[in-house]
Amino acid sequence: MIHTLSRRQMIKALGGGLGALGLGAVLNPPNADAATHHRPRARRIIQLFMNGGPFAPDLLDPKPAINRFAGQRPAAVQLRTENETGGLMPVPFRFQPAGRCGIPVSELLPNFARCIDDVCVIRSLHTDNPNHGPALFLMNNGSITPTRPTMGAWLSYGLGTENVDLPAYVVLCPGRPVRFAELWSSGFLPAEHQGTYINHTNLDPQRMIPFLRNSNLTLEQQRRQLTLMQRLNEDHQAERGVDAALEARIRAMETAYRMQLAGTDAFDINREPARIRAEYGTTHFANGCLLARRLAERGVRLVQVYYGNGQPWDTHRNHNAQTRDLCRDIDQPMAALLTDLKRRGLLDDTLVIWGGEFGRTSTSESGDGRDHNHWGFTYWLAGGGVRGGITHGATDDFGFRAIHDRVHVHDLHATILHLMGLDHERLTYRYAGRDFRLTDVHGHVVREVLS
Amino acid sequence: MHAIAVSLILAAGASEPASAFSRADLDFFESKVRPLLVERCFKCHADKKQRGGLRLDGRAHYLAGGDSGPALVPGDPPKSLLIKAIHGNDPLGTIKAMPPSGKLPAREIAVLEEWIRRGAPYPLASAGKTASSNIDLVEGRKFWSFQPVRPLPAPPTKDKRWATKPADAFILAELEKRGLRPAPPADRRTLVRRAYFDLIGLPPDPADVERFVQDSARDAYPKLIDKLLSSPHYGERWARHWLDLVRYCDIGEDYYPSKASPYLYRDWVIRAINDDVPYDRFVRMQFAADLMAETKPADRAALGFLGLSPLYWKELKLDHVVIKTVVAEEWEERIHAIASTFLGLTVACARCHDHKFDPISTHDYYGIAGVLASTRLADRYLLPDDRVAIVIKARSQVADMEKRIADLEKRIKALTADKKPDRKADIDKLKTEIAAIKKLTPDYDAPMAAGLEEASLHVLPDGPHRTKLVYKPNEAQDVAMQVRGNPGVLGPVVPRHFLSVLATGDPRPLTRGSGRLDLADALVTDAAPLAARVFVNRVWKHHFGTGLVETPSDFGQQGERPSHPALLDDLAARFIDNGWSLKWLHREIMLSTTFQQASFVAGHPGREVDPGNRLYWRMNRRRLDVEAWRDSMLTVAGNLDRTLFGPPRALRELDNNRRTIYGTVKRRETDDLLRLHDFPDPSIHSPNRVPTTTPLQQLFTLNSPLLRLQAVVLAKRLQAEAGDEAKIRKAYALLFGRQPSPGQLRLGLEFLRPDAGNWEQYAQALLASNEFLFVD
Repeated sequence: MIHTLSRRQMIKALGGGLGALGLGAVLNPPNADAATHHRPRARRIIQLFMNGGPFAPDLLDPKPAINRFAGQRPAAVQLRTENETGGLMPVPFRFQPAGRCGIPVSELLPNFARCIDDVCVIRSLHTDNPNHGPALFLMNNGSITPTRPTMGAWLSYGLGTENVDLPAYVVLCPGRPVRFAELWSSGFLPAEHQGTYINHTNLDPQRMIPFLRNSNLTLEQQRRQLTLMQRLNEDHQAERGVDAALEARIRAMETAYRMQLAGTDAFDINREPARIRAEYGTTHFANGCLLARRLAERGVRLVQVYYGNGQPWDTHRNHNAQTRDLCRDIDQPMAALLTDLKRRGLLDDTLVIWGGEFGRTSTSESGDGRDHNHWGFTYWLAGGGVRGGITHGATDDFGFRAIHDRVHVHDLHATILHLMGLDHERLTYRYAGRDFRLTDVHGHVVREVLS
Repeated sequence: MHAIAVSLILAAGASEPASAFSRADLDFFESKVRPLLVERCFKCHADKKQRGGLRLDGRAHYLAGGDSGPALVPGDPPKSLLIKAIHGNDPLGTIKAMPPSGKLPAREIAVLEEWIRRGAPYPLASAGKTASSNIDLVEGRKFWSFQPVRPLPAPPTKDKRWATKPADAFILAELEKRGLRPAPPADRRTLVRRAYFDLIGLPPDPADVERFVQDSARDAYPKLIDKLLSSPHYGERWARHWLDLVRYCDIGEDYYPSKASPYLYRDWVIRAINDDVPYDRFVRMQFAADLMAETKPADRAALGFLGLSPLYWKELKLDHVVIKTVVAEEWEERIHAIASTFLGLTVACARCHDHKFDPISTHDYYGIAGVLASTRLADRYLLPDDRVAIVIKARSQVADMEKRIADLEKRIKALTADKKPDRKADIDKLKTEIAAIKKLTPDYDAPMAAGLEEASLHVLPDGPHRTKLVYKPNEAQDVAMQVRGNPGVLGPVVPRHFLSVLATGDPRPLTRGSGRLDLADALVTDAAPLAARVFVNRVWKHHFGTGLVETPSDFGQQGERPSHPALLDDLAARFIDNGWSLKWLHREIMLSTTFQQASFVAGHPGREVDPGNRLYWRMNRRRLDVEAWRDSMLTVAGNLDRTLFGPPRALRELDNNRRTIYGTVKRRETDDLLRLHDFPDPSIHSPNRVPTTTPLQQLFTLNSPLLRLQAVVLAKRLQAEAGDEAKIRKAYALLFGRQPSPGQLRLGLEFLRPDAGNWEQYAQALLASNEFLFVD
């Protein structure tokens, strides 16, 4: 009977307090369609988060006019950003049409260029605030403050996990992104939906997942201990009749025991063949991408891979040289991830998302840097339900402001939820007398990017 | 938000006040323009939908505009986006052709052009409901939770002997209506554990259990309750419940460094609860302890409720309208915390529009926002004013001298070749003076609490690009309504006042100083029935696991209706009559027969009729929250440090043996133990914790150093007993307050066979058991 209800109906039916009890085993339908509003096109998401904010005209949104009017400040770029900027700063990178689709891709991304036919480039993202904090919050939770549940929490709440042995929402970062845990908060949703943050600087799974293994007991010793514990628990329950809360904990304890193995397996990229390791490369970001694939493969709903500690893409100085380094770092792993997913047949129902909290200015800051730009920037999507080999939307001649088919962050969220089988207007949670949504009162699905 | 961003560059007419138009212009609007707008535009651009963020049904709305900026420039049709859109010939293609169904007939375009040429008149009365509100207060006041409360006669019941407290009659009457009998009383072992966990959050000592079980005196149970209520640990338990509501943290935002010690607020709450400070006074002190005549300087710590509000980053390099938005977000968070905590109302919805369900207008919202706009978060000494003056003077002198030392040191560095000994001597002299001042000022290092002071904040442009924040001490201000929550488009200025629906006539003005004392007074006088209902229900929920109202911070239309409305009203009324005493309320609830029921009765028909136990035909089994669970482990292991109060310390430090309430709470990063076990996000008001059961929690139970350490220490404690059986018995007495069954004894002995498990593993299994985590 329970399986005929969705998680959300269940939570409603039981009332907040009891609703979340059954967690893992009871309420997580093995087939997530039970909880969706329509047929999902993607079952899981890997989000590559370029924290700091990359500059699209270096990468996927070529703007020759920047170089033509170098040093000048045409009216179109007289827009307020965080800092005062100077004239247009030339882009030294060349573009080539790539793939069958012929989308121009920068010379900085030679490997990624080979995957372009699977990629949908949205060139018209825009957000509300040119400050890292608020923009990071908006990209993650749809508001400029840290008070709302994040997208991953919404997905976990809406869809549960496909694998009860693993958390539904995992955040990987080799270090700590700015604003840290507020970026994967469950806000007012039950705490189980928050992201599980993992610093993958050290690749030992036992270092990554807190309390994954017991340093003191062998698995056999622990099994014996667990058997004792469960005998006591059964005794306890027998005197008390049916109680979902007691049962849930008994089951969760077994799951945890299994997770010690499953988790060790899922988080151990050393189990990958050398060939695969070589495809991805050896950087932290490469490891993050490979870990993300292993987790996605095992049913984790959302894996976010933050590029690096702090905000590495925040190139206020020495922009070109930094960008060259950053791209050398991301190009191979991004391509390897897409290729690997495709080879395994996973790309069909895995959505890959790439982008930062905002973009950067085509005008210069302090001579050789670029400032934050929330007026227009680029995201790319690939995989589950996305039309590959197309671009959508456009910025102005200088890549500054989104002007055609503008896509607000709320629209991006609506589209992502749509691909996951959720209607962003119906995925709601009652808090403080209001039915809250990831998209608040905004958001339109960008139908043009759907396949 | 869209409109805000755009108004940075196109601030055209954004703050223009609504002005009156000539009769002829308004007639033209009503006869020609409005029908056209209704037919062609309002479907997507009015109160129901705002495509592209744009509303056209009100002057403020179309001046604020949508994603692409203000919809029109009064008097200048060619410059107006709306005209460009209906012509559909924007050369850049930036502006979508409107309406989507096809181009309007030329005469309709001409009407709209003429309308804009006339200055786009729009009648004030319908100006998007910004000036006035459509809320019907007379009707609104009829809602159940706004009614006065009064003690009610107990309803008649068939069983005349069951009830011991007034609450029981209300419970029993409902059960009898459905043909249900209440559960029999819990056995005394269960009851004593229940009382301990409810009131102090710690397990009873085995000796205490036995004493209570053996005590057949009629007043043994009331005496137990009295004893627990006078324990200093009672305040620790109940303060933590309060801290969830007020989003308490020890470490907040690092970008606004404060010298305050937030724990002074936590300690104040513990003391206030131990002292049974009447709830109305408890509330008033948290808003205005510094402004009340009858408080001590130490009471200023109470201001931590608002003093520890989250602060959002204000990037002064940005336009002042953006910063005003950030400030408005802070008001919203505070209003939300205030209204949810004390009133169980969702006032923050009214920031952008009148509340959709409850009789709370945007006008009311900004009436309260003015109080917050006149109050500044500030560090406060908990000393008499004359001593504060001495510290401040001493500190400013020292700061001055330290600056001079720094200058001198810089100079010495600059002149390395020519080190003048006299400079060095100057420095030494200054240092001596500083030491002297510090020595002569006994309060020099007195801690400061996170508090409040009277000062209004003004967000002003600072040149063309930057913003400055100007605080005006002791100057209160009223704030203007922000149309659709957009601080770039202002409506009328609203005098500070309390919620209209909670007044009998005109709403209470909040005008003494910032108005925060008036606001607190209003919460416990004008709103007393609601405030009492909300508080009584929270306490009931902590005792029973479920509330009479299961939405403890929403007593509005969207909230649940009470399962026992008369019971709630009666209890609330008598709570007020009994001097808002929390300890009175505990006794009223815990001495009831309802509370003393067993939590399990085999074959009870209630399982079918009322599986959720909304009628309280039995007690609810409850899971310990993370604080009580950890504190219990430390207690049974013999590790617990029962020291009260003081600075926090990280819970991950394994030699931290203090109660969990003293563990450091960081807003940015919650401790692993807390994070895994349903501890609420300390950035927002938490109405109640939602208990979840996850595998990650059980990994903690199986593998964390905390569990292992407590198991090791507990195992050591058991070794004092002679013989394995006696050790097992001791463990059961400590952990569960009972003796093991023969089967459980056997299980233990088998597990402990020399070739098998050891005492540490056994101790951990008991600590990890359901019996240790759940209270019957």
